[in-house]
Amino acid sequence: MKISSFLFGLFGLFGFMGTILLVGPLAQAGRAFPQTQVNQAALLRQSSIVFSGTVSQLGATSFADVPKSPQTIVVRVASILKKPAAVSLKAGDSVTVEVKDPSAFQQGTRATFYTDGWMFGSGVAVKELGHEMGLSGEATKAAGERAKGQAPEQVSDQELQNRLNAAEFVVIGRVTDVHRWIAPKSATTHVTEHDPDWHEAVVEVQSVLKGGKVKGNKIIVRFPQRNDVAWVQAPKFQKNQQGIFCLNRDQVSGAPSSKPAGKQVNVYTCLGHGDALPMSEEARVRSFLKTQ
Amino acid sequence: MKVLAGVALCFPAFGVLAMFSGFALLRGQSPPGPAIKVVDLVPASLSGETNQDSEPFLAIQTANPQVMVASAFTPNPFSNSGNAPVYVSQDSGNSWVLNAITPVPRMTCDITHAMAVGENHPRGDLHAGTLACASAITLDESESNDVSSSAPMSVQSTRPNVDQPFVRALGLSSGDRIYVGVNDFNQPNGRTATVDVSVDGGITYKSNPVEFRKTSGQDGPSVRPAVGGDGTVYAAFFGWRKFNGTVATSDIVVVRDDTTGNSANPFQALKDPSDGLPGRIVVKNASIPWSNAPTLGQERIGSTLSIAVDPNNSSTVYVGWADHGKKGDIYTLHVRRSTDRGVTWSRKDLPHATIRNATNIALAVANNGVAGLLYQQLSNGRWVTHLVQSHDAFTTVQDTILASVPANEPVEQFLPYLGDYDYLLSVGNEFRGVFCANNAPDLANFPHGVTYQRAADFASKKLTDGSGNPVAISIDPFYFSVPVIP
Repeated sequence: MKISSFLFGLFGLFGFMGTILLVGPLAQAGRAFPQTQVNQAALLRQSSIVFSGTVSQLGATSFADVPKSPQTIVVRVASILKKPAAVSLKAGDSVTVEVKDPSAFQQGTRATFYTDGWMFGSGVAVKELGHEMGLSGEATKAAGERAKGQAPEQVSDQELQNRLNAAEFVVIGRVTDVHRWIAPKSATTHVTEHDPDWHEAVVEVQSVLKGGKVKGNKIIVRFPQRNDVAWVQAPKFQKNQQGIFCLNRDQVSGAPSSKPAGKQVNVYTCLGHGDALPMSEEARVRSFLKTQ
Repeated sequence: MKVLAGVALCFPAFGVLAMFSGFALLRGQSPPGPAIKVVDLVPASLSGETNQDSEPFLAIQTANPQVMVASAFTPNPFSNSGNAPVYVSQDSGNSWVLNAITPVPRMTCDITHAMAVGENHPRGDLHAGTLACASAITLDESESNDVSSSAPMSVQSTRPNVDQPFVRALGLSSGDRIYVGVNDFNQPNGRTATVDVSVDGGITYKSNPVEFRKTSGQDGPSVRPAVGGDGTVYAAFFGWRKFNGTVATSDIVVVRDDTTGNSANPFQALKDPSDGLPGRIVVKNASIPWSNAPTLGQERIGSTLSIAVDPNNSSTVYVGWADHGKKGDIYTLHVRRSTDRGVTWSRKDLPHATIRNATNIALAVANNGVAGLLYQQLSNGRWVTHLVQSHDAFTTVQDTILASVPANEPVEQFLPYLGDYDYLLSVGNEFRGVFCANNAPDLANFPHGVTYQRAADFASKKLTDGSGNPVAISIDPFYFSVPVIP
């Protein structure tokens, strides 16, 4: 039995439009194509480009420079559920999809593709993370609409989840002071164009969302003030700034502690895109932390 | 939309410029005309992007020169955690695609690369040196055997605490030689100028310090190898002797190895007569401004350096750098030459090779011995990108202006604004290279024409996202090829 027939049978059997079959690394990286059902919303979060369409060619590509293989198929786009703002893709375009299991598709197959980008040229080529036979359900469409509305600088659900998972502390706080950090003589410093120009922000902690108790309700956050390419995504702090901060022990500046008022305290960093969030993100952060 | 500007179009704004710059020729030759090619690398499917895609670099597949890889500070277009991309062309630069295959998440904070022979990998043998800057700065030396596949490059060597990897390669039947100039802060005694050498296609690397003198605590960021066809390898670096925070007092030093960087005492073939130490001092105690803030227009300055060797005569080698220059200058380029394997150097700058208020010097030598000099000059509020060619050590020159764009827009998103370097190579009878510039679709900015892959309306001078919506001007990388003069 072909897998596509199996899938239709599965959907028919369970009448479960909110599930999809996922093959490959999303399911169990490195294992031999185990199949598992994955929550549709989770897959939507993990995908950067999601669209519905009809398979028009098998073993083909939609534009030159994409290597043709038995795993590449061409899909004519019917509707786009999620894509980055910079990517030019619209209904009627043909997209190359590198699929996990080409036997799942035939010419004329209609499916919703959950993908990550691969190549961008005169057209778009993507790598399949999963697919849903038939065109997308209402729930997917609604989630897709939300994703499409996200500004490019906004932190995606997946990225936020990753940042929260990686953080030692997640706090709500207010910056009470910002000053340049003078490196102690024991810290090794070099002259490079990537010099971070470390500054310190003193954050008055109002609420700890993740992590243990904060002594004195104050945390020192060391951050790069330099607008060098190496640090362009690192949050820059300003006095009186209020927000949600994902923090980790400083392993970058070369001196992971500080002595304000003569007392040795640990210093934290907040270096990644999405490590400093506005208060408007509080509900989303709390919701993700609940699921951890 | 694809727009090709006719090279015969006459732009009044460039008339005066042409007279001064000499893209009318000094040697009475015909203008190169339509063979000059300038292409914006950003593909049509990313027409909506507004990134500052600065600091370009270029690699050409030696065996298949229609295959090229270019890079810039272009972020992964679909994921903040996905691999940083490179641009790939398989048709001699007419079209480019973006492929996210470097080992670095999202965007590199330095990347250079080279392609060796490629007899077994027609779209491969790409060797890259990348810096990842998500937290600590980490160097990856990596390889791809097929730059069009979706497989990320495989990391062959990695270490923290280095700066500005600069990769060159030499294809040999016994195994590709890879050379990575780095400013390696792991070296003892502040002698940080280093050339990593692999003689087995990148499987293993040996780190060779090339500074043999006392430093101010470190050398300057740029360490540039250049490889001759006979296995002679040169490297140039800034030997910092003093540094006060804003000025580096620096020697311009050239080292040489005669056996592909694999000698018993690597890079010690040249000794300076002043102290008998390895490394010929081309210029002593140059005063080099260091400013990690917008200083030359919106660009920072402090470490632009290039070295090039004649591919058919490794005795001839050129070195170029920037320093303070004369009073009132911000940053001045200089080029000098040696014709005896770096033993002696021209005592003064070569004629037509002292260039005020300019940066991003890149030198190359063509098969017929013609020297090429790429640079970007801040002139009357514009960034003007020049390619100068000369067959007689810049006594007579042909100056081709590739682009002249407003310097005050767009506003910088980060530094470097255009890049700490651009790049120039020679292949066959062409100079090929990359530079970055304001991407306004204005034909007056490109005197020899330009091809845009991304959606652009040259009539209204506006970018669009492919669906008619306006897109802001930003910095894009541009590829060019220019015929080598006879």
